[in-house]
Amino acid sequence: MELSKMEPIVKRFYEGVAKGEYWGRKCPECGAIEFPPHLMCNSCGNRDTEWVRLTGHGKLLSLVLPGIQNNKPYLKDEGKYGYGAVQMDEGPIYTFVVYGLTKKNRPELNRRIKAGETIGVHPKNVQRDGWVELCFELDDDVKESLKK
Amino acid sequence: MTKGQDARSVSIVGVGCTPFTSFEEHPETQGIGEGEAFGYAAKEAMEDAGLQPRDIDYFFHGAANPFMIGAALTPNMQVQEWIGMRGKGSIHHSEACCTGYTSLELAVMAVASGRYDTVLTGAVDLASTLPVDDAPAHMRKDFPLEVMLPSIGYVYDRAYGRPLDSAFGISFDNWVNKYAQTYDLTDDQIDQTLNALSIQLRKNAVADPLGFSTKTYEDLAHESGMETAEEYLTSAYNPKVTQYLRVSGFEIKCDGAAAAIVMPTEKAKALGLSAIEVLGTGAAAYEGALYNNEYQGTRDGAKAVYELTGVSPDEIDLFMCNDFFLGGDITASEECGFIPRGEAWKYILDGRVAPSGDKPINPNGGRCNFGHAHGASGLADIYEAVKQMRGQAGATQCAKVPETTFLRGFGGGQNVRCQILRTVK
Repeated sequence: MELSKMEPIVKRFYEGVAKGEYWGRKCPECGAIEFPPHLMCNSCGNRDTEWVRLTGHGKLLSLVLPGIQNNKPYLKDEGKYGYGAVQMDEGPIYTFVVYGLTKKNRPELNRRIKAGETIGVHPKNVQRDGWVELCFELDDDVKESLKK
Repeated sequence: MTKGQDARSVSIVGVGCTPFTSFEEHPETQGIGEGEAFGYAAKEAMEDAGLQPRDIDYFFHGAANPFMIGAALTPNMQVQEWIGMRGKGSIHHSEACCTGYTSLELAVMAVASGRYDTVLTGAVDLASTLPVDDAPAHMRKDFPLEVMLPSIGYVYDRAYGRPLDSAFGISFDNWVNKYAQTYDLTDDQIDQTLNALSIQLRKNAVADPLGFSTKTYEDLAHESGMETAEEYLTSAYNPKVTQYLRVSGFEIKCDGAAAAIVMPTEKAKALGLSAIEVLGTGAAAYEGALYNNEYQGTRDGAKAVYELTGVSPDEIDLFMCNDFFLGGDITASEECGFIPRGEAWKYILDGRVAPSGDKPINPNGGRCNFGHAHGASGLADIYEAVKQMRGQAGATQCAKVPETTFLRGFGGGQNVRCQILRTVK
């Protein structure tokens, strides 16, 4: 492979996150998006993908809460959080840290997920040492509705 | 030929396994290094098959973390001299907690392809201590939690799954959570099921002379002034450390080695050896941060092995599950068709997964009770399966001697190997 055809994909992803840009790689053959981005398509097995910018918005598909075994102090410092599967509005699914998930709202969120309701999430950046970690948090309308 | 099918039938003819324990804590084993541990497991496998090192053509060596735990980059070279195989070819492989199952897959491929006739496959990890720099192999030092915990994340993808924190975050609970959601089970029902499973698996491990655990949860309850194992398991002695899992739902890190010898089934028959045929391996892998990765890998691996072997799930007599965090015993036993969907939690509460039950799971006690010598654990399960299928499992022998066993190997962020073994008549 010639140098001119190579580029650092992970670096572009994290640099994008720091600027509020969310970059994935779209398969020109099946249209599936790799997010976070990879070199080739895991949906149809095509070897080519091309850059595509995502909105950053998605919906929560499932959640679990941390215990002392899988808790991270630097995440806790930013607020109450859990781990969840997030489906981006453009389709790809991956798991992330999601802020706003609590013991109190877990049963209601599970009920809504099971009922097929959309629980919107958007990016929340967590500053790490020299890089930015992409996390998500519940949309404001979801937070409001959980207060009722 | 179906994809994944072997070019010739391959059988296990010998197995060996050391105790899964802390070698440094017992005078008999203090000072045993990787070479001796691998060697003793290999020696037992050779004795079991009636073979000598000169009869073995090639060997595989597995370890989960040889650089950190064994201070070795090419550990196969460092055990070769211990097993009388100087000059013969070998390969080291490492798939973390799935290593021992991959060990069998590799050995079968080597024989099924026709390249070799008799292959030894072994794995070793001295996981309870660390090597001492610049000192001989008999010298080990403490392996404190603050050193161990950061290394666990090394099984996950360094680009995304690890730095984004989700792989480690979701791993323990995500499939049990899906199960609870699907069948409308409460947290208390999951807790009761996992505790009942812990009680049974601990009994199995205590009854197994190679198992790490020496006290049942009933023993521990009485020592703590409590009436029942359930009371102990829900007490402050055993807190929840993830959403669903208590301390009892996590692996017991220990030292151990195990080995197996495989050869063409026809050759085993000609030699009059007791043979357990490896009908097939269904292989899958889903990176640790992918949604429901353990579920997806088990689904694909089980589908593959059933398709290529033609075995029906109702033919499975024994289910071995790599359960270094509990929960897989419930979910994987259903996904692999061993227990009807939505029923495993009830089967566990009803005691049906005990060795005396109609759906035995992990009669050796599994990773949280028999112990987890990481890379070696899969081969310890294969050892147990072979002993069970020969009717040689002692106090934990299943009520019905199994003719067909399903192994759900899992681990290493995350590989899955689904393997079916059958007694050759």
